[in-house]
Amino acid sequence: MSALATRIAEDFAAAASCAAEDPAQAHRRSALSLLQAQGLPGSREENWKYAGLRGLERLRFLPAPPSATATPDAALPAPVPGFTRYVFVDGRFAPALSATPAAGMFAPLSRAGAPLQGLPQGMDLRFALLNEAFATDGARLSITRAASPARLELIFLASAAAPSGGSYPRVQVTLEQSAALELIERHLSAAPVGSFVNSAAQVHLARGARCRHYRVQELSASTTVFDTLSATLDQDASYRVHLIALGAAAARSTLAVRLAGEGAAVALSAVLLGARQQLQDAFALFEHAAARTRSEQLFRGIAAARARVAFNGKVVVERGATGADSQQSLRGLLAGPEAEVDVRPQLEIYTDEVRCSHGATTGKLDEQMLFYLLSRGLERAVAQRLLKWAFLEDAVASIEVPELRRQCELSLAAALEDETLKELL
Amino acid sequence: MSSNRKVLLDISDLRVSVEGKQILNGLTLNVAAGEVHAIMGPNGSGKSTLANVLAGHPGYQVTAGSIRFEGTDLLSLAPEARARAGLFLGFQYPVEIPGVNNVYLLKAAVNAARKQRGLAEVDAFDFLTIVREKMKVMRMEDSFLSRGVNEGFSGGEKKRNEILQMLVLEPTLAILDETDSGLDIDALKIVAAGVNTLRSPQRACVLVTHYQRLLEYVVPDFVHVLVRGRIVHSGDRQLALELERRGYDWVAGEAA
Repeated sequence: MSALATRIAEDFAAAASCAAEDPAQAHRRSALSLLQAQGLPGSREENWKYAGLRGLERLRFLPAPPSATATPDAALPAPVPGFTRYVFVDGRFAPALSATPAAGMFAPLSRAGAPLQGLPQGMDLRFALLNEAFATDGARLSITRAASPARLELIFLASAAAPSGGSYPRVQVTLEQSAALELIERHLSAAPVGSFVNSAAQVHLARGARCRHYRVQELSASTTVFDTLSATLDQDASYRVHLIALGAAAARSTLAVRLAGEGAAVALSAVLLGARQQLQDAFALFEHAAARTRSEQLFRGIAAARARVAFNGKVVVERGATGADSQQSLRGLLAGPEAEVDVRPQLEIYTDEVRCSHGATTGKLDEQMLFYLLSRGLERAVAQRLLKWAFLEDAVASIEVPELRRQCELSLAAALEDETLKELL
Repeated sequence: MSSNRKVLLDISDLRVSVEGKQILNGLTLNVAAGEVHAIMGPNGSGKSTLANVLAGHPGYQVTAGSIRFEGTDLLSLAPEARARAGLFLGFQYPVEIPGVNNVYLLKAAVNAARKQRGLAEVDAFDFLTIVREKMKVMRMEDSFLSRGVNEGFSGGEKKRNEILQMLVLEPTLAILDETDSGLDIDALKIVAAGVNTLRSPQRACVLVTHYQRLLEYVVPDFVHVLVRGRIVHSGDRQLALELERRGYDWVAGEAA
């Protein structure tokens, strides 16, 4: 057993001894043994070579103990009108910061009294197994057609420093037939400490259900975060995911979406911004398993200074997925001489009669555009920021919740170190 | 040329190369306030090179000669400083910048110039009123305001947008690089009207053009013929008409 695997096993044993009456104990053990059998991902694996796996060597995996001090309201972003907010601190539900749980719509997993759901399958979902083994709490969202359209916001605050343990946010989303949900999921830091966050989300959309899922990662500059989302879509279900990752020292986001039912559709819009020595890595796997399924991937990544930004978009069209349609538009922007952007579209097609298109580019700011702006008298720094902003425009404009878009624009403007652009917003 | 001319632009023995290839070979020209100069010449004679060098395009190397703009060494200034000093280049091929709003660019450009002169930023409401007035001159629709810079514009719309920017920025010296190319007669008249709006005793304009058609609507004070990187012939607007009749071979032959 590797040193890392040994440490995980030790931490698991320590956690288990603290929670003897945990009804999910057997389930946790299965997750751990499956993880031990498969091993954690290594950087030699194709889909993991840009992930910040080395950060794991310095970590403890025990869940952080409940925070002794109450988290102030001020740690939370401004409310988003129309959305009901639920807050978790270090993976534990924080009723004092949250709306009253709406029966049948939102429940904390710890109170639901049920074990976590079926184990994630697939080598790319191994961090979800780590989450299964250690998660203390989470959000269970069950949306019926009658409760639709539901608008919920989940905020996961990390407050514990990594040496005292990890934070294991967890989200389970189930939409019944024809139900509709707009979900905001944010990962933020309550204090400027470096945390370890390993979050997992499972989404199931029944026939004709529609879900728009905004995922915003703005963790503190020294945090390590792994995030795994797996979704299954039944017939004619529609899932739109917006990923905006600005924070953390090293962040890896894994998305696996299975288009299981005929006519199901998924669209991902991902914005990854890396500054300083940040690492932003995202991997999206879309599996077309039924006829006339559609998928779209839009990626816009900017790496400045010595940052590294990677996006790996894989689309698999399985046998029998006739009439599948897949589009990828992946663009990286290098904004520093030592920055790195890795953009990789992968396409595996096992059936005829499909439409797949992809475009992947990485480059520096367009010199002609820059000269045009300079020739109109704009400062070079302003012109450069304006072009970076323009580069992100498609992805940002697709955020349809005005208050959330405003907040994201402010965060992006700050990340681009820009004062002048604020007047745009 | 009258002796009380106030020279704005003074180019002396300018030599420029692009990727090691000499394009301008000792070009000398001066332009005074109130004047409109037309630079004509066959393809490849160096017309666009001249326009780009004046604006400070990084792709050109000035190997000899000097350019003074209102007494300042223009070559020592970055492109943005040249613009703020009152020089404007109307591009032959205006670039599309999706995601950067037209009005935002105009406002940022105006404010950059105002800052240079120690003036406060322009009032947003007054500014829009001014832009709308100028848009009327250029017959541009209101929807233009919300669009990205040149995004999805036709060739004619792009050229009109260049002139609109010029009208809003009110430069001391405008250099228009083949602004007439690709325009139908109606668009040409609109563009010409825009250029004429800005004519004044304080300003000057250099029209770089291949054809004399634009010069029927914007009547130049001087016409220069550029061949192989040098001005080989200068005259008044009659020269443009003669070029139209006899073709460039006539002056090219004379220069050889």
